[in-house]
Amino acid sequence: MADRTSHIWSYRATFVFLVAVVVFVQLLPLRPGPRGIPGPDVIILIAFSWIVMRPDFVPVALLAGVFLLADLLLMRPPGLWTALVVLGGEFLRSRQAQMRAASFVVEWAIVGLLICAVTVAYALILMVFGVPQPSLGLTILRLLFTILCYPLVVILAGRAFGLRKVRAGDQDGFGQRS
Amino acid sequence: MARQSGNQEDFVRPIRRLAVGCLVLVLIAIFILWRIDSPRAERLRAQLVDRVVPSMDWAMVPVTETVNLLRGFQSYAALQRQNRELRDELQRMKAWKEAALQLGQENAKLLDLNNVRLDPALTVVTGQVLADSGSPFRQSVLLNVGGARDGIKDGWAVTDGLGLVGRISGVGKRSSRVLMLTDSASRVPVTIQPSGQRAVLSGDNSALPILEFIEAPEEVRPGDRVVSSGDGGVFPAGLLVGGVVLARDGRLRLRLAADYERLEFLRVLRSPPAESINAPAGLIGPVQPVPVETAEEATDG
Repeated sequence: MADRTSHIWSYRATFVFLVAVVVFVQLLPLRPGPRGIPGPDVIILIAFSWIVMRPDFVPVALLAGVFLLADLLLMRPPGLWTALVVLGGEFLRSRQAQMRAASFVVEWAIVGLLICAVTVAYALILMVFGVPQPSLGLTILRLLFTILCYPLVVILAGRAFGLRKVRAGDQDGFGQRS
Repeated sequence: MARQSGNQEDFVRPIRRLAVGCLVLVLIAIFILWRIDSPRAERLRAQLVDRVVPSMDWAMVPVTETVNLLRGFQSYAALQRQNRELRDELQRMKAWKEAALQLGQENAKLLDLNNVRLDPALTVVTGQVLADSGSPFRQSVLLNVGGARDGIKDGWAVTDGLGLVGRISGVGKRSSRVLMLTDSASRVPVTIQPSGQRAVLSGDNSALPILEFIEAPEEVRPGDRVVSSGDGGVFPAGLLVGGVVLARDGRLRLRLAADYERLEFLRVLRSPPAESINAPAGLIGPVQPVPVETAEEATDG
């Protein structure tokens, strides 16, 4: 039992570390100034894919803390994006059983639609509050890139950290067949 | 086992839902507070960034340098051609240099004759770029000079030696943020030379910011020089910003003189606080003698 909790905590630490690395890379002053194509939003992909695969590795408080810090460091309006991501994460958590049974394509579609919904809600709320926003084209481009990159993030999580969906046959609940 | 955990969840689920609801409310409250009192929230953010980013410097600098080095190798093939072009350019530049030297001497002589004193208040602090904004929708960089040690203040102009880059927006103890001219929140009053038209340079997240509110656009030609106008008292006047171009969308835009591809060291211009005129104009007339008696009465009473 103790082994199991320490296992869970090591994965939680891995999640935080992974997000920290992504923020670090984004903050590197490699090419400041305007770029043509905005890259994918990797942090939300990591969060959602981990929640789909192993919800207990990404507890709500951790998710909220990590995203709030990212909001502050990446110059976003603090709190709003975090709140929407937490709600999206809760949605995935409540559909845990269906997500487990679903094929990868269905999972991809659901997560993609969820990211769309979060982005649209974010843009609408910012509009209501009169916060200046980036242009629509850039936002849509970023959204598309983000959704397209979902399989990459899932494959990486499986290859690098041994993370995969818990299936009905798994006994120990670690994604490893014992 | 499934049954047991199911029973447990019946207790846990409503409490958990409540907790998540509270969490989301707190997050939205943070957002609304930020919206209401943006300057204070941004100051808090600057403090946080100030705490976090400079301490990551030990890791950021080697990674950045390594990537730049690799990029340098990549461009090795282009070096040959570039070298030849540079030689040609150097030849042409030599003539200009001669002209510039003569003009410089002439200028020094004329300044001496006129006894002009150049503004000594405009000194610079040079800082190194620490970090990017981290978001594709924000155009800003973090400098390693800050408020406590170097006396950086909000609103000071930042150049890279070639042209204006942006202004200071957010100061921490050890770091300060430079809002670049291309950020969609950036508005800078400029003058277009030689026609002398005033305009506002507004960023829109593209490499070429827009020139807005030009009174007579027909007097502006692509290629005209654009300098900061100093209107509003925030920026020193006469800093080179760039040249006018006619963009594909038919609007007048600005090609920035600063080299945004290579922002490594930036100069922050210490501008003196703009003088403001508080008192209304006094009456102009013969000097009245001061009424002595009334003053004495006032002190008596």
